[in-house]
Amino acid sequence: MTLAEVLGHEPSTSYGVVVAEVDRAGWAAVVTDVRDLGYAFFDVLTAVDLEAEGFEVVLRLWDPAARKGVVLRTRCPREDARVPTLTEVFAGAGWHERAAAELFGITFDGHATAHLLLSEGFDGHPLRKDFVLASRVAKRWPGAKEPGESDADLAAELTADRTGRGSRRRAVPPGVPTGWGPPR
Amino acid sequence: MTGGSAYQRGLAALRAGAPAELPPRSRGIIALLEENCTVCMLCARECPDWCIEIDSHKQTLPARTERGRPRVLHVLDRFAIDFGLCMWCGICIEVCPFDALFWSPSFEHATTAATDLVHERADLRTWLVGVPVPPALDR
Repeated sequence: MTLAEVLGHEPSTSYGVVVAEVDRAGWAAVVTDVRDLGYAFFDVLTAVDLEAEGFEVVLRLWDPAARKGVVLRTRCPREDARVPTLTEVFAGAGWHERAAAELFGITFDGHATAHLLLSEGFDGHPLRKDFVLASRVAKRWPGAKEPGESDADLAAELTADRTGRGSRRRAVPPGVPTGWGPPR
Repeated sequence: MTGGSAYQRGLAALRAGAPAELPPRSRGIIALLEENCTVCMLCARECPDWCIEIDSHKQTLPARTERGRPRVLHVLDRFAIDFGLCMWCGICIEVCPFDALFWSPSFEHATTAATDLVHERADLRTWLVGVPVPPALDR
């Protein structure tokens, strides 16, 4: 069997890395078959937040005899973030699935993922693109100042803003909702 | 030769007290050539970690000719990088339009206090020593 026969299509090569897309329903079965081809070393499993296109679970396997790797990817929609578990195929995948479940909010069907990195009761999934870091609330954005402006100028302008006399439209930090930031 | 054996050799050399042999384009620390800085704020705004703090003021130069106009300059007062926050992405260096920031291969900057990881402009200038000569321009 070749990789193309197992996958049902020819894998693509991106920057020298062999990459194949796998259907979510057949995820565990395809990974089992690819493992049995010789890709027996589980390297890493993680996820990517593609925003409107859902989540992509990324798996890299390595063939120790042939010294070559393959990257397998599968997609799940945002509103149904579920992917079959690989713990039956590679026991070590459990650790990576726990991290992905916690950080991206993806459910791995067949694997009751216990929390791994975050504190008990942590609200939210920090590696989702729409998650805003708490440090963005605690710290003032250093880019708010215009060229030629000092901390004192900025403070004076912010005071003027509060009293309704501020005029300038300020640059805002990317990825932070309006209204977030330390209290003035 | 594998990466592992090179690493082992490097470790052995370090233990023997030899200076580290660094690959080209090593990202040790970020150096500032403040003469090139125009206080455009691009690096501070692009930094994903918010680790660059810049303070500046405006200075007005009188007109140089009779019909000329006075010019406003931005003068740098403070430039600090908090290497406790920096993640060595190099976006500030890439975005700088006037080549004021450089990768320096110098890497031995461990401290015992997090506050000592904030490098002010005088520290950032000292890292210029050892910045490699840029590659030659295309002809």
